[in-house]
Amino acid sequence: MNKKFGKAFGRGLTSATCFTLSFSLVLGGVLEANAGTIDTYLGTASEVFVSDNNEENPLYDKFTPPAELLNEDGTGNSTALIQAAIDLNRREVAEGAVLLKNDNDVLPLDSGSNVTLLGIRSYVNLLGSSFGVKAQGPYISLEQALSQNKTDFANTIATTQVTDATSRDVATVVNKTMNAWTGEEFEFEGAGFNVNSTMLDIYEELNKTYNHANNENAEEVYNAAEPSLDEIAAVNGSYKDSFIQYGDAAIVVIGRPSAESKDFLPGGVAEGLDYESGEPLSLTKNERDAIELAKECSDKVIVLLQSSSSVEIGSLKNDPDVDAILWIGAPGCYGMLGVADILCGRVSPSGGLFDIFTTYNMSAPAMQNMGKMYYTNTDGTITRTGGVLGFVPGAYTIEAEGIYVGYRYYETRYYDAVAGKGNATSPVGAYASDTEWNYDNEVTYGFGYGLSYTDFTYEFEGEPVFDISVDEETGAPSAFATFNVKVTNVGDVAGKTPVQIYGQAPYTEGGVEKSAIQLLNFEKTETLEPGQSEVVPVVVDLQYIASYDETYDNGDGTTGTYIMDPGNYYFSVGNGAHDALNHIMAAQGMDASKMSGTGNAAQAYVKNITEDFISKTLFSVSKTGYPISNQLPYADWNYYQPGEVTYLSRTDWAGTFPKTYDAMTLTNEQLIKNLNGQTYTLQTGDDTSDILWGQDNGIQFYEMYGVPYDDPKWDQLLDQLTLEEAMYIFTFGGPSIPGAESIGTVETYMTENAGNGIAVALNATKDPNAPWAIGSDDPNNMWHPEVFANAPIGASTFNPELMYELGVFTGIESLFTGINILWGPGLNTHRHAYNGRNGEYYSEDPVLSGVAAMEFAIGALEYGLVAAPKHFAFNDQESERGGVSPYMTEQRAREVELRAYQIAFEATKYDTEDYDAGMRGLMTSFSKIGSIECTTSEGLMTEILANEWGFIGYAVTDIYDDVDLWSAVLNSGTTCFDTRGQSGFYKTTTLQSSNLFQNLIEGRGLDANFIDGDANLQLKLKEAVHKNIYAWTESHLMNRYNATTRVEKQMTWWRATYYGIAGVSGVLMVVGAAMYVMSSKGKEEEV
Amino acid sequence: MKKNAIGFYFNVLAAILGIAGLVCTVLSSSGDNALSGLSTVIAAGVVAIALVIVAIYSPMKNGNHDPIAAVSVIAAIALFMYVFNQCVSQRVMLIAGLFSFNANNAAGWIVFSFVVGAAVCLLAANILLVIGSFCKSVK
Repeated sequence: MNKKFGKAFGRGLTSATCFTLSFSLVLGGVLEANAGTIDTYLGTASEVFVSDNNEENPLYDKFTPPAELLNEDGTGNSTALIQAAIDLNRREVAEGAVLLKNDNDVLPLDSGSNVTLLGIRSYVNLLGSSFGVKAQGPYISLEQALSQNKTDFANTIATTQVTDATSRDVATVVNKTMNAWTGEEFEFEGAGFNVNSTMLDIYEELNKTYNHANNENAEEVYNAAEPSLDEIAAVNGSYKDSFIQYGDAAIVVIGRPSAESKDFLPGGVAEGLDYESGEPLSLTKNERDAIELAKECSDKVIVLLQSSSSVEIGSLKNDPDVDAILWIGAPGCYGMLGVADILCGRVSPSGGLFDIFTTYNMSAPAMQNMGKMYYTNTDGTITRTGGVLGFVPGAYTIEAEGIYVGYRYYETRYYDAVAGKGNATSPVGAYASDTEWNYDNEVTYGFGYGLSYTDFTYEFEGEPVFDISVDEETGAPSAFATFNVKVTNVGDVAGKTPVQIYGQAPYTEGGVEKSAIQLLNFEKTETLEPGQSEVVPVVVDLQYIASYDETYDNGDGTTGTYIMDPGNYYFSVGNGAHDALNHIMAAQGMDASKMSGTGNAAQAYVKNITEDFISKTLFSVSKTGYPISNQLPYADWNYYQPGEVTYLSRTDWAGTFPKTYDAMTLTNEQLIKNLNGQTYTLQTGDDTSDILWGQDNGIQFYEMYGVPYDDPKWDQLLDQLTLEEAMYIFTFGGPSIPGAESIGTVETYMTENAGNGIAVALNATKDPNAPWAIGSDDPNNMWHPEVFANAPIGASTFNPELMYELGVFTGIESLFTGINILWGPGLNTHRHAYNGRNGEYYSEDPVLSGVAAMEFAIGALEYGLVAAPKHFAFNDQESERGGVSPYMTEQRAREVELRAYQIAFEATKYDTEDYDAGMRGLMTSFSKIGSIECTTSEGLMTEILANEWGFIGYAVTDIYDDVDLWSAVLNSGTTCFDTRGQSGFYKTTTLQSSNLFQNLIEGRGLDANFIDGDANLQLKLKEAVHKNIYAWTESHLMNRYNATTRVEKQMTWWRATYYGIAGVSGVLMVVGAAMYVMSSKGKEEEV
Repeated sequence: MKKNAIGFYFNVLAAILGIAGLVCTVLSSSGDNALSGLSTVIAAGVVAIALVIVAIYSPMKNGNHDPIAAVSVIAAIALFMYVFNQCVSQRVMLIAGLFSFNANNAAGWIVFSFVVGAAVCLLAANILLVIGSFCKSVK
């Protein structure tokens, strides 16, 4: 070889391979540092959790899937699993869909009907959310459910919108949620209709440019993107000819999406679409034209409404040519089968509305303060930046509506209007009239309302049974009333119905604000045949009719608690809140001529509650025996800057109707300090010698299964941890959670989303060693379990047993996917219709939401899945969600927002003498409560959550939230941070190296010695870790642990690739260097 | 200049791109997205640029493919990759967030643009150094 060439080539080769070697090492570092997340998305297993399974150390003996989902040899049966998901999603929607209108009994349609589907959503069905509760994988379309009897999964894979734009016109990219389905197809019983393929073909063609997806999100400038009739005609000019053959019924599908991260905004509509009210949740001209087209097609016009919020459909309600309206939400992958069941009459609808549907959403008092509002003096006062998430500082919203959210406002104002009190009929706040406020004008369909194909009567069977006692030792109250409601099917077809119990507390003008009606609890009947009756007991926790009086003097130096004013308490059973209120009004003898609808006094019950029966302060002590007092004074804007905000009051609806507080100025120093995160001072000189770390007590984690939280054995285990290990567990809260050698735990991927199923495909299971794990040789191994409906459908079932079943099934999914903590379900209440995330949250009502989440969580825990509902609390909008300050009264906070969580966390229904049931997880909110971050609020996280409600478990922040406030977050009672993507702890990722924690408010980065001198934080750390580990021990993680547990690395393809590149590069680098050196020896000519 | 061969120009371009990459790296490190160990990163970048300059001038004195230039280039490649690694790997989750749940992060998008700039410049600088290694620097 020419020496010159050899030298040049050797040098070049060395340089080139140095580059590829360096690059592969960089790549490898990135991959290893994010291995857990990469495995989830690529379906690989870079590390395997290994334990020897033998008689001495048995595994998988604590939680197992039900036998019907396993083969005889104990392996997983994917066919049965998917079939069970199809069946459950079908029932979920069949019971959750709400029939709002059915004039002339146009529904159900006859089998064999020839129907035409109209509206582009009839072709691209809205199944879920583009972000958050996404419907993943193959699905059954509306057309298939109506006309087919076998799935076509291979060609029907759900798509999702991917956009970072605030306007559809700017960017809309659609991706499949799964590359391909090569698994089994499933048979089903469809509606038996014949569907007009001409229109479907047209919409298919139009969607090539409209680019709709099955999972979409709200947009700040919303474009419903419904094709015009001209566009339809341009595809096929003779499309109307098909109506002759398919004119038995015309089914129009209207949709409004919902997803994480974006809201609809007031007036936020794309130009030129002629929205009926100028708002995004009203119908566009093209949508109205589609309905007009339906009238041309058939004399039976049916509208299917896909939304997770109130859509403004007053004009459809009043249109005599629109025969039926069925709300179907975002029904998930197989929910259209439930829709088909209703349309063909196989199932009689039995859902009740999750939210009130108003004529104009802007008429809600909450809507007067919604959107993006910033302090006028943010610059110069707010020095805390938006954190690693880059949120915009200085955002706030004044929740001046007080407790009058959703139906509580409309129904209470209606009540006062009939009673002639509080200026209720003033036009202030009216949107449908300039002269008066009138319920019928403002409301389309009330909360809880729903029709059936049959009729039911409801009557109280005897007197309700009151069971009231007080724990002598703790003072904890127990006060329940059981209403036995006899329900009779007096119609012609079989059906079931919710039994909703509402209540009204006595209100004194100028006293504590009280809603005229509120849901107290609900149950659902079995399917009743015509003429059949069932007595349904509904147990009401009387605490939920107590009111929170912020000014009550507790006599111990504290202020504020729950009170029960003596007086007449009314209870009623009705088809929704409005119906129930009418019954109460009838019982009170109010003027029927002024009422909207009619009341039946027999469906109401009055109980005079005296101090002797229930003392005024019975509920001033929580069920844990903890005294209740104000804990969130800073939630109220007026706390720091008095008199600047007026909250809505029944005393004067007109005078207190919220104005828009869009120019608030910060003047109070403490308020500004709070907003800047200065709520905890790190100590450096405390004596911490009494706090034990690193002890050798000989206890291992796997031995803690079933050990009660207060067992002394826990102290011994926790003392074994080193301070650094404990800091790792608090700092990195998942999905990958660090191991701790001292107690025998290993780094494990434990957590995932979401409320509509586990967001991990079967082939990406985190527990591939489970006997039932679905291997890559299984034809259905790519199935993704996130298939269920958005949360409002679950809520609208008003069926606690079904809610429980949804939790049970998600728990089963978690066994198949190896996830033991679920970041879900969503549990915030709907403050208004414009929250883009309403699809992830159940309802505007805290009782409906709380019961739904409780049932889900208790059901999930049956199979070892810890459900962690989110976002605790006050995530009332997605706009500027990462730190927006919602200001509200503590009464509002407790009676509306927090009550949903309280019901779920207390889980009183499932308490026994021996077991205090409850949820074992939660995720905090990005938002603040007033000026304090929820993650750092001791009042919220410790006083209310832990002390009042007795919560014990994993309490994680939202992703990367408030990482700069590490100390304050630990101090509050939050138990860990969501650090998605971080893994490789103690090696690739350390306390010192994780870039999330390098800019702490203390002006330094996190390190293992950070709290060496802070005794309070060390004790809080021990408590946080205790709660985390306890939650793990309640989960099916314990299936996998024994004395031999360890982690073994696996050679995934991506690891092999970078190893290979690095190895080859290294060898060639040596070769190149050798060539260079060899060529350099001896005499050579240089030019 | 007439004595300079193509390897010289590749190295000069690599030095310029290296400087640009380092500047972008520094600019990407701000506020909540500050790079951990920024001073080390800057030092590595400066040394790498100095080594490229050595690789530019050394052949003029010692002829093509002299050992000083050869070692300088290899070390510069490794150091540029170190800077690249620090700039990119600490931002993986930020970037993942921008393309999913955190698309409204305006500050993050600015950081992202600098990260992209740094990555492109540093990778391009290394590719030019590699190509230049095969070539003569002086005629």
